[in-house]
Amino acid sequence: MASTPQPLLPPLRPSRTRTREGAGPRDSLSAWPLIDRVGYALCWAAGLTLCAIAGAIVLFMLVKGISYLRPSLLVRSPSAAPSQSASGGFLDPIEGTLIITAIGICIAAPVGVALSAWLAEFHRPAWLARAVESAIEMIAGVPSVLLAIFGLLVFAPHFLAFLSQTSAGDVVYGKSFLIAGIMMSVLALPLVVGATREGLAQIPGHVREASYALGKTRATTLRRVLLPSIRTNIASGVTLGIGRIIGDTAIVVILAGGTLQLTGVGRAPILSTLRGTGSSLTSYVYYNSPVGEGHAPQKAYAAAFLLLMVVLALNTVVMLLSSERSLNPIAWMFTGATGRRSRRAGEPGV
Amino acid sequence: MRPNRAATISLLSAFVLLLTPALAGARSLLLSGSTSMFPLVTQLGALYHKQTHQPSPRVGQGTSGAGIDEVAAGRVDIADVSRDPIIGVDPKGLVFTKIARDALCVITNSSNHLSNLSQQLVEQIFTGQVHSWSEVPGATATGPIDLIDRVASSGTQDAFEDIFLGETLKIAPSASQQETEGGMRQAVIGDRNAIGFASFDFISGTNPVSYQGIPCTLRNAKSGQYEGVRNFWMVTKGIPKGASAKFIDWIINRHNTAVENIIKTEWLPIF
Amino acid sequence: MAADLLSQAPRRRRGPSDRRTELLLGALAVGVLALIALLLVTVLAKAWPSFAHNGYVKWFLPGGDVDTQLTGIENARQGAGEALYHLRAWPLLWATFLTTGFAVLFGLVLSTLAAIFMVEFAPSAMRRVLEPVVRLLAGVPSVIYGLIGVLAIAPWVGEHLISEQRKESVAGVVQLTGANLAVAVLILTVMITPIMVAISASALASVPSAWTEGSAALGVNRWRTVWRVSLRTARPAIIAGAVLATGRALGEAIMLSMVAGGRSFAPNLRDGVTVLFEPARPMAATLLAYIDGISDPYLAHALYAIGAVLLVSCAFLSLAAWAAKQPLKRYGIRA
Repeated sequence: MASTPQPLLPPLRPSRTRTREGAGPRDSLSAWPLIDRVGYALCWAAGLTLCAIAGAIVLFMLVKGISYLRPSLLVRSPSAAPSQSASGGFLDPIEGTLIITAIGICIAAPVGVALSAWLAEFHRPAWLARAVESAIEMIAGVPSVLLAIFGLLVFAPHFLAFLSQTSAGDVVYGKSFLIAGIMMSVLALPLVVGATREGLAQIPGHVREASYALGKTRATTLRRVLLPSIRTNIASGVTLGIGRIIGDTAIVVILAGGTLQLTGVGRAPILSTLRGTGSSLTSYVYYNSPVGEGHAPQKAYAAAFLLLMVVLALNTVVMLLSSERSLNPIAWMFTGATGRRSRRAGEPGV
Repeated sequence: MRPNRAATISLLSAFVLLLTPALAGARSLLLSGSTSMFPLVTQLGALYHKQTHQPSPRVGQGTSGAGIDEVAAGRVDIADVSRDPIIGVDPKGLVFTKIARDALCVITNSSNHLSNLSQQLVEQIFTGQVHSWSEVPGATATGPIDLIDRVASSGTQDAFEDIFLGETLKIAPSASQQETEGGMRQAVIGDRNAIGFASFDFISGTNPVSYQGIPCTLRNAKSGQYEGVRNFWMVTKGIPKGASAKFIDWIINRHNTAVENIIKTEWLPIF
Repeated sequence: MAADLLSQAPRRRRGPSDRRTELLLGALAVGVLALIALLLVTVLAKAWPSFAHNGYVKWFLPGGDVDTQLTGIENARQGAGEALYHLRAWPLLWATFLTTGFAVLFGLVLSTLAAIFMVEFAPSAMRRVLEPVVRLLAGVPSVIYGLIGVLAIAPWVGEHLISEQRKESVAGVVQLTGANLAVAVLILTVMITPIMVAISASALASVPSAWTEGSAALGVNRWRTVWRVSLRTARPAIIAGAVLATGRALGEAIMLSMVAGGRSFAPNLRDGVTVLFEPARPMAATLLAYIDGISDPYLAHALYAIGAVLLVSCAFLSLAAWAAKQPLKRYGIRA
């Protein structure tokens, strides 16, 4: 009787090579045919290779980052100067990352939760629900560079000029933090939707039934009972979305204007920065690598190290939020709103 | 007030604020174009903002060719172009204003102590006729020559072909192409057998090669002895007007010593 | 279930808040759907002239150097006729095919073995280490992979693995540098392996324990159980993971533009081992490389055409992944 959801990976059972007292002959490796032993060795090799690669990446970035990252870099703005020592730090790219992430997740989180609530609780008409599910699966697979060139197209008409600025030739410039943030929210949407759907599907049916029995409408049940109870799921979905946004480069390079410093449009206090152009940590690393200007590989390493630390911190947060769910968050990342209608918790398990 | 109503009102007022043109204020200039000119123009822009309190010009980069496309399409106000106008290729109606001059150097990897190249050798190497360093006198590198070129829309590439190779010759198509000046510099630094060309601002860490016996230095360029000098232009659609005119006039003003001091660090003034 | 109960209950007027919420959320869903439809329609519409002028089949065929053609489009002025659109994109497709194909192949092998290791053979300490490792590899931004590739791996490969004879053998056609096909495939494999590991491990762990225990009861050793029973059951998930990884590899622009070499060259398999060191620039990386010229309307058509091919491929792959996962529902396997 599966009234509680089964954990993803089986609980860490004791290793099968250790036997209890009085148990029968054990499955000893030396009794296996050669080809099976080769398979076993290959599996170990694969696991160790992955660990080695991850360790190498972290160590390499650690070494390079610690040697090049100075606290002063974090608080000085970048300036265009021919020599590296005078070209300032990366305060503006850090601010740019924060701005874009904030805009992106502020759009993606409510829209994602609302969308998955609609998919889980209402899903009428059925063709629309299926279409929306497929659409979200599709977005999960769209490369960010395509979203960026779509952004160039869609923000060109004049009625959207308030999002960036207009040039002298009366052409909408079409590149700003707001625009980059909006396209970033499309990136984060499938993650939030997936996480919320996962959470909603795991709420046992009797909770909803009890609420309806008390005379509450579906809307109220959603707002007061269901969504508050899956707060951790929503939080981990949002954190995954933030991680995806922070790590993306193509949208920033193409849509955020590529200026070193945050240059605003007009004089309104916050809106001018949002409508203005700038860069983020990822585009800063890109421009300072040999592919961009290439003048400052040390600064690129320092910024990349900072970026990696932020991503690691976010990963830890996700891990803490979803304690027994193990690897499933990664599966969400790439499967979007996979339907879990085949197995609602509360139904007898297969 | 119920929280929903408060939220709706604040959202609506934020929306209205966004649309209010009254808060638009003065628009900043949009520039884009040559990667060679980017360090100069960003420094000039910062000084312009400090001296005149006009909004900081917004400078992007994406090669001279892309800059010309953008200014012709009206996307930017001024394009930075590091090569002379090409009749037949450039769109009609563009006005070129010279703001500085720049020395172009042939560069090799710092381990390759090639000191001089004659006109003939430059032509033979860059068109791909000479394949190997053993055929180049004075080169300490051995093995095949790795040609580093810029992408076709680069103004520096056009300028190099014009000045060093003449009207008819083109750089060999098998050369690997770099998008930016910085990329060219990194490619030459990273490859022992590389040879390329870069603006004087970008040659640190490489071995600059003398051309026809004259070293590539600012002094030789200024005196006219070094022939590899090209112009930096600011291009507008039609005669510069309004904010663009103000910026350009501020740069080419003879009496502005601050501007001239910036230009003199790595480039040549126009007078 | 609850919905059935509700519909069977005595009819009660659905409150105004329910109807309002349903309409509101439904409108949101329609809005999101409209946005996706807009994406498809605008990219395809902008791409159509390039296909129309080149011929829908000829666009994909080989016919010269793509870089020359793209700059020709950018420099051609009004009245230049066919030169405004001329493009034969085969080198891009071939480069994409090579990089993605090899990366998915190597990644599939590596990830399946690693997933089996995680689920079956790893001691509990190693399992506790491997989960964060996979999560880390999945979360590292592509620009950091690209940075390590272009600043550490590519120079090393260029210095030590490319001999001068090799360079001479292709001199005049293409230059061999550290930024080449081999390095691109290597880093791309590392980037897409975590996706496949996560999905495969998830599916392998969800195989009903009755089946694996039954197999063990019959005296089959652990490796064979996994190979014959679990992998077979989880095969749809592994395929779905591979399809998703292919979509990811197709769309990777930033890392590939940094390490795959600066030329849109079609690596020539007839060169033997040298093909590993030839530059190759897949579609997404080419798109990124020419993005500065997108103000030019004719170059924009060509670039959006490349984007349309990418979009259609990725959409197709997403649907294929969804279809590949359908058999899993039969076993109630979550993946």
